[in-house]
Amino acid sequence: MAITIKKIERGPKLTLWERSFVPEILRGMWITSRHFFHNMKTLTQEFALGGGRSKRSIMTLYYPEERPVTPVAYRGRPVLVRGANGLEKCVACGLCEAACPPHCISIVGAERDNGDRYPTTYTLDGAKCIFCGRCEEVCPKEAIVMSDDWAELCTYDRGEMLYDKERLLRPEASLARRLAFLRNNAFSKARYQ
Amino acid sequence: MDTAAILETGAKLAFVIGINLGFFAPVLAWVERKQSAVMQDRIGANRADIFGFTVIGLFHSLADALKLIFKEDFVPRGADVTMHRLAPMIALIPALMGMAVIPFGGTYEIGGHAVNLVVADLDMGLLFVFAIASVATYGVVIGAWASNNNWSMLGGLRAAAQMFSYEVTMGLTIIGLLMYYQSLSLVEIVAKQESFWNWGIIYQWPAFILFLACAIAENKRVPFDIPEAESEIVAGYFTEYSGMKFIMFWTAEFIEVVTISALCVVLFFGGHHCAFISDAGLVALFGGGDLGNILAMLFGVAVFLVKVCVLIFIQMIIRWTLPRFRYDQVMMLGWKMILPLSLVWILFVGVAILTGLMPTPA
Repeated sequence: MAITIKKIERGPKLTLWERSFVPEILRGMWITSRHFFHNMKTLTQEFALGGGRSKRSIMTLYYPEERPVTPVAYRGRPVLVRGANGLEKCVACGLCEAACPPHCISIVGAERDNGDRYPTTYTLDGAKCIFCGRCEEVCPKEAIVMSDDWAELCTYDRGEMLYDKERLLRPEASLARRLAFLRNNAFSKARYQ
Repeated sequence: MDTAAILETGAKLAFVIGINLGFFAPVLAWVERKQSAVMQDRIGANRADIFGFTVIGLFHSLADALKLIFKEDFVPRGADVTMHRLAPMIALIPALMGMAVIPFGGTYEIGGHAVNLVVADLDMGLLFVFAIASVATYGVVIGAWASNNNWSMLGGLRAAAQMFSYEVTMGLTIIGLLMYYQSLSLVEIVAKQESFWNWGIIYQWPAFILFLACAIAENKRVPFDIPEAESEIVAGYFTEYSGMKFIMFWTAEFIEVVTISALCVVLFFGGHHCAFISDAGLVALFGGGDLGNILAMLFGVAVFLVKVCVLIFIQMIIRWTLPRFRYDQVMMLGWKMILPLSLVWILFVGVAILTGLMPTPA
């Protein structure tokens, strides 16, 4: 078998002008300096002239001072809803306890004098919670919802992550956005009632 | 030498060293971080503060310097201790010495005494700068060898090869300019650029491009930073340096950036001259006399510094725009492209001056 020589094209052929790199270097410098001057303009507007964030081209947040706004579907730390009458909405039915995949919820229920059920203790182990949102899905009373708490959930002591009822309760008004989202969601349990 | 001359030289020396070590070195460290950040749509260092004032991150240089001063001064086992200590000094001191012959202003009559704003007015000033720049190479190579580290050694070898080849090329790129000004003295070259149309950049712009490329290569900065190439050989020649010695290498690099910019300003951008107004005209504009001279002097120095800052800005843009060349590409660029081009340019300038195409300034 005769030896055949196969010529392989290695990369594009460049003209002398292209091989001098000068136009491409200048183009690259133009791009970087354009970004530089544009960002300098927006930074000056933001800090020196007091412009808004909308004009900003640098998207980095100045973290502890600036917090991101989470989308409404964001699942943060689960919290209990404190109703308008100041009492928890939870009726200690135990559905969330049963639905919780890592078994992080434990409830002890009791009955008030007027016959309403309520949890005497409601413990949620933040160290175990996987933020799946099952508890929120199964709850018939909209008593536990996923909040937008995401920051500073870490502690130096694991005991602090064991949230008791008082630390879980939040007023209904502060969770209005999430509750409205749950009711209007296409797959919301509210639509099947 | 009379007392006035000694005082004058001392003041000029203090100014040059002060502005380099006290202003340019820390501020350039800040500019490098902040400019690159803004260029890449980031924020950059902005947290170090003194009593709550951050001054857009300017205190980071101070914090860095403080941290490095208190760091352990580490010498690796098997290293040549004397050479290891000597190398950063050999790198830093020539970087500062290069500034000695660069005129940062003109000559002014103050109190019946002619003040020439250059530390050492040498006839062969340009050769002095090149000679001193090649001494700085020894700092790098000695530092690399004394570290007893393979990565350092590789960096040192690369630095030696790169810096010596670009030394030759850098000298040749400037020959055309020397033929044009017919002088080696930087003071004289600046004096000839009083009119805007005599600025080096007008007739000698190809030399400027070639010179800037060589100068950046000589300074071992991106895109020619193969001696320190972080992604290949850790940190190259200063891998084993810490604390103050590391600062010295790092300061030497920034001062070399300033030296290159100052040299470009002196050779191509008219030094302290502001384009269309002569030195005498400037003194007259400020009212003449001692006060007029002093104001004109301050104005000239300010113009010079502004030009230097613009050139530093351009160097920083180049540094943060271009990726690193490969080793063989650096060598090819130096020997096969810039060297022949500078030789062609010398020939062209010679012919152009002889035929009167390029009128030499008086």
